[in-house]
Amino acid sequence: MDWNSFLRFVRGPLFEVSLLVFVAGLAYRLLRVVTLGWARNRAPAAGSRVVGVGRSYAKGVIAWPFIPWVKDTFRGNAVTYLAGGLFHLGLFVVILLGTAHMLAWKSLLGFGWPTLSPSIVDFLAAGAIVAMIALLINRFSHPVVRKLTGPAELLNWLVVFLAMVTGYMMTHHLFFRYEVLFGLHMVAVDVLLIWIPFSAIPHFVFYFFSRTIHGVEHGRRAVTP
Amino acid sequence: MREETIYEHLQREGVSRREFIKYCGMVAGAMGLWATPVLSESARLFGNPDLIGEVIRALETKPRLPIIWLEFQDCAGCTEALTRSQSPTFVDLVLNKISIDYHETLFAAAGFQAEEARQRAMQAYAGRYVLVVEGSIPTGARGVYCTVGGRSAVNILKEAAAGATAIIATGNCAAFGGIPKAKPDPTEAKGVWEIVTDKPVVNIPGCPAIPEVTAGTIARFLVFGTLPELDDLNRPKTFYGTTIHDQCLRRHFYDAGKFAGTFDDEGARNGWCLYKLGCKGPTTYNACPAIKWDGGLSFPIQSGHPCLGCSQPDFWDGGGFYQAQSVPLDRPTLEAVGIAAGVGALVGAGVAVANRSQKKRANEPEAETTGRD
Repeated sequence: MDWNSFLRFVRGPLFEVSLLVFVAGLAYRLLRVVTLGWARNRAPAAGSRVVGVGRSYAKGVIAWPFIPWVKDTFRGNAVTYLAGGLFHLGLFVVILLGTAHMLAWKSLLGFGWPTLSPSIVDFLAAGAIVAMIALLINRFSHPVVRKLTGPAELLNWLVVFLAMVTGYMMTHHLFFRYEVLFGLHMVAVDVLLIWIPFSAIPHFVFYFFSRTIHGVEHGRRAVTP
Repeated sequence: MREETIYEHLQREGVSRREFIKYCGMVAGAMGLWATPVLSESARLFGNPDLIGEVIRALETKPRLPIIWLEFQDCAGCTEALTRSQSPTFVDLVLNKISIDYHETLFAAAGFQAEEARQRAMQAYAGRYVLVVEGSIPTGARGVYCTVGGRSAVNILKEAAAGATAIIATGNCAAFGGIPKAKPDPTEAKGVWEIVTDKPVVNIPGCPAIPEVTAGTIARFLVFGTLPELDDLNRPKTFYGTTIHDQCLRRHFYDAGKFAGTFDDEGARNGWCLYKLGCKGPTTYNACPAIKWDGGLSFPIQSGHPCLGCSQPDFWDGGGFYQAQSVPLDRPTLEAVGIAAGVGALVGAGVAVANRSQKKRANEPEAETTGRD
């Protein structure tokens, strides 16, 4: 099989199967989380749940992550906070605001949106890759993070890193021919799609679940954590 | 009797010495001699290499190179492109003045006369002629989809290939199957190199192939007696060594993120990059941006149309022509996504129910458990 046929395979049938595994796996994970249930609280509500959820999102998603000194993570391990933040920002921008990726989304969803200049996307992609390397080093050098690191965490890192690096190399035509890098990038993306439901990566969905649940609980009890 | 050299043949055609020297310069340029690593390296080491002199010596001493040109499943577009080249040109020189002996589309003979002419040419130049093939070869239904004089294309090709000294497949059809091979490929079309496996086949893909590239490859064989260095798809590296994207005159717009969104928006009018409109330049290898068409006038991207990727295998099935390359080729239908989500949710719910009943059993009173025992 030459690289062109390989590229057609990974852009075609393999991508389709990967996406279906991703959807089925995520549906499974969502159902499992929803059906966990939680203990019924019979005490009368002391405050508004909606206000609690609003506050939870305002702090957890909009404000707190960007104010280092209020985060325990920053105080405990600044690398995790800074490199983690840079990585998430880069990933978000590349996946959603890169022109090539937006066109892929458009083909799947039926609608598109304005994108950023490739030079900005490129800069943040490079930043995300550097941040990932820093995070890997941190995983082995920080005593607490090292204890939390197992094969699954390393695999998470590897799968995302390969997708990022092959994408960056492809954009810059580095070392290999474009179709080779395009094929490798698509393989990395396909493997990532299949791996996501079985990993801790679905926090891009579950993070919002936990913010909502915490917000409801805090609101009911009228406490501001 | 000594065989007539190319120069002598040209003299007989009325070509003056001055014109001959100019032709030799054209041949050297079109063959991409300066881009040939060995020659350019020797040029660097030894100062001024006499590349035109090489060509002159070859044409003065070598006999003309007979070419037999066959047409199978094709539109004759590659031949059309050749005949549209302005005269007197390099293409005209190589193909009309000094080479072609048999060309099904161009010569006057027809029917049995044509078949006899082919047989005569093949016998007269056995083991010496260059076979140029245009069009794909159908292999379905024992090759019945394309027959000439009652014989299948496969048979004719194999017979002609047996006596050829070199084989050149011109156009995407002859190289990779081209449009006849597009899904559902009813004729089971094949490229020449899939049929002829005992001899090297030089692929000159394109839709049509660039005439100067076909002629340049023939000229190289004529001058040096060897085939050019080929890539993994058997294309001459001199002409197919770089992607359209890397040679593109709109490349800086790609790098700057300036894309045409439609064919009539501001971006299109300003000549911005056509990536969003489905340009296949990044994965397509050809010399269009350098050689161009109509005497160097323009090429598709310059004229505002995205590259179709016509020098790549299966370009007809490589996604829509106007679909950007980052878009997946196959996408699951809404029904498939619904079924996948349903299956996932069902399994999740099943596991949840099983877990709950297990938990319930584990929490049952000790006495009851003892009673059951």
